[in-house]
Amino acid sequence: MARISRRRLHLVLAGALAAETLPAPGRTQGTGSGPLRVGLVVPLSGPAARWGGFAWRGASLAQSEINAAGGVNGAPITLVRGDSQGTPVESVSAARRMIAQDNVQAILGDIASSATIALQPVVEDAKVILLNAASSNPDITYRAGVGGFRWTFRAYPTDELRARVILQYAAERRNFTRYAVLSVDNDYGRGAIAFSKKYLPEYNGQILSEDYYKDDETDFRPVLSRIRSRNVQGILMYGLPDATRLIVRQMAELGLAGRVALLGNGEFIVPDTIRVAPAVLNGAVEAAAWSPDFDSLRSRQFVENYRRAYGAEVPNVHAYTHWEAIYLLAAAARSATGREQEALRTALANIDYDSATGRVRFDDHNQAELPMIIYEVVNGQAVSRGSFTARVQYPAR
Amino acid sequence: MLMDVAINGITAGSVYGLVAVGMALIFGVLRAINFAHGEYYMLGTFASWWGIETLAFPYALSIPAAVVVVAAIAFAVGLLVMKRLIDAPFQVGVVATLGVSLVLQNLVIMIFGGTYKMFEGGWIEPVEIGETFVSKQRIMIVLAALLIFGGLDLMVRLTRFGKTVRAVSQNFEACTVVGVDVPRVVVGTFVLGCALAALSGVLTAPVVVSLYGGMGTAITVKTFAIIVMGGVGSTTGTLLAAWLLGLTESIVASYLGLQYRDAVAFTALIGVLTFLPGGLFSRRERF
Repeated sequence: MARISRRRLHLVLAGALAAETLPAPGRTQGTGSGPLRVGLVVPLSGPAARWGGFAWRGASLAQSEINAAGGVNGAPITLVRGDSQGTPVESVSAARRMIAQDNVQAILGDIASSATIALQPVVEDAKVILLNAASSNPDITYRAGVGGFRWTFRAYPTDELRARVILQYAAERRNFTRYAVLSVDNDYGRGAIAFSKKYLPEYNGQILSEDYYKDDETDFRPVLSRIRSRNVQGILMYGLPDATRLIVRQMAELGLAGRVALLGNGEFIVPDTIRVAPAVLNGAVEAAAWSPDFDSLRSRQFVENYRRAYGAEVPNVHAYTHWEAIYLLAAAARSATGREQEALRTALANIDYDSATGRVRFDDHNQAELPMIIYEVVNGQAVSRGSFTARVQYPAR
Repeated sequence: MLMDVAINGITAGSVYGLVAVGMALIFGVLRAINFAHGEYYMLGTFASWWGIETLAFPYALSIPAAVVVVAAIAFAVGLLVMKRLIDAPFQVGVVATLGVSLVLQNLVIMIFGGTYKMFEGGWIEPVEIGETFVSKQRIMIVLAALLIFGGLDLMVRLTRFGKTVRAVSQNFEACTVVGVDVPRVVVGTFVLGCALAALSGVLTAPVVVSLYGGMGTAITVKTFAIIVMGGVGSTTGTLLAAWLLGLTESIVASYLGLQYRDAVAFTALIGVLTFLPGGLFSRRERF
């Protein structure tokens, strides 16, 4: 064997490594005459796994519907999925795998705001579209579009809107002034409360107790006992569905039913949650981007098709938003003027699309103006109280 | 509210105690920390859940059923893995039990899926004590802890098996010389320890409600803190340390904030190892 000098060996190895890790410049993952390849990065295990499962089923349904009708530009959509476990680390890992191995043109993800925030630089480097349809932390689009990350798009309303409509409803319709905070300890939970605090003075509210729970927390009794002793009217809760059920059960145990209302977001209006302790959930107020009884033809058709495809299961908001997002990407692919990624991105940025909940147009921060719908639980049933939109107030740069 | 804090603390502490005493026993005979201990707690919960969901067991029947199932799994692991740790260096035990932990967690996730399951059974109707409410299940947990600790204490002092366990904990070479079947004692203790963890899991399931394959890891860490605080070798010490941890966590969660609760176990661990390595109840180091 010829003797290779050490130096040369090092140079060759370094070159090989560099070639592996750098994204190939000008890679044509074009649209036009090729299949549209989309990756879904959502939690499929862990505390938010339910939501990830719904998102996957919604997106798969859209994929099969579109492919059955002829696909995009004559070719079928390919959909791959990766398990983010709801954490930024795993989310980035799954996204990188998809970009390198599956050559995806767009990634739908994540659900947890913390994970989405972690994905933004990854897709920016790889020139892959990140279309988010589930995270509500406003920072994601503060930093998108002209804010920096050109490849991040969001077709989902933010907590800037949600925090405001919840407080407004609680203050004006229920005359609440005494609040407690019990939210999940991540960018979503903390972000929503940060905005709530901003709006509190306007609505004469005060926070008497503030706690954040880890996503696998199971014992909320210390907090609930404290809340009971401080005569709180509403608990501002931006959290995860499994935790909500535990909290509701423990509230029933501690005699809080009917004395305190849940306000915010965390599947309060889903029948499975209400069933756990109906007396506790009466009067709960949730602001959601969608709900299965949303009153539009397209939405109702979606619910019907979903239930037919998945054993009569009722879809949740994430099933809907990811289903709609696939259609949105397909529309962008159809209107793209070329085969390169940049053409797809431009097509998406300029799109004018009619979704089931409203018109989707992206502003200069790549944020679509979509409504939040307020639901109140009355006698065990979720009743819609109206739909709200607002212009986002981007911080001055 | 003070009553609430106390009750929360004692019930949480009783749960930790039941799990911790198993780990303490195992450490006593093997000088190996069972890093997979929380997983047997998780397996107990899952076995009970499966019995209720799939086989339509009533909750009361699922308790012994789950303990038996986990004991069988522990027996298998004991023969395959723990027996080989008898004379092995400490690191081998760490890696081996960590491996078992990963295998058990991921097997459960593969078999039952990654989403959280809801535990439907149990006696959760609340009973009023003073001005606070406690579910019957949590009262049961405290009673179970007292009974089991009492029983263990008697077993260790009076029965032959108990004396053999103490002998092996003190000096296993001498035991081999004297004719004690050390591997049998080790596997037996291991099965007992894991069965206790499983029992704790089944009893706590109605209170914890959410089941997930990874739910055991938090328990393992807190258990480790407890056996260090309690001092290895004393069952009463373990229960007292467990209650102390439970109460402190409850006070911190109630008066400081829920997000600080998990820090208590780690802080306690650091404090005890630095200042009182023999545990809170003894002055000399035991290992």
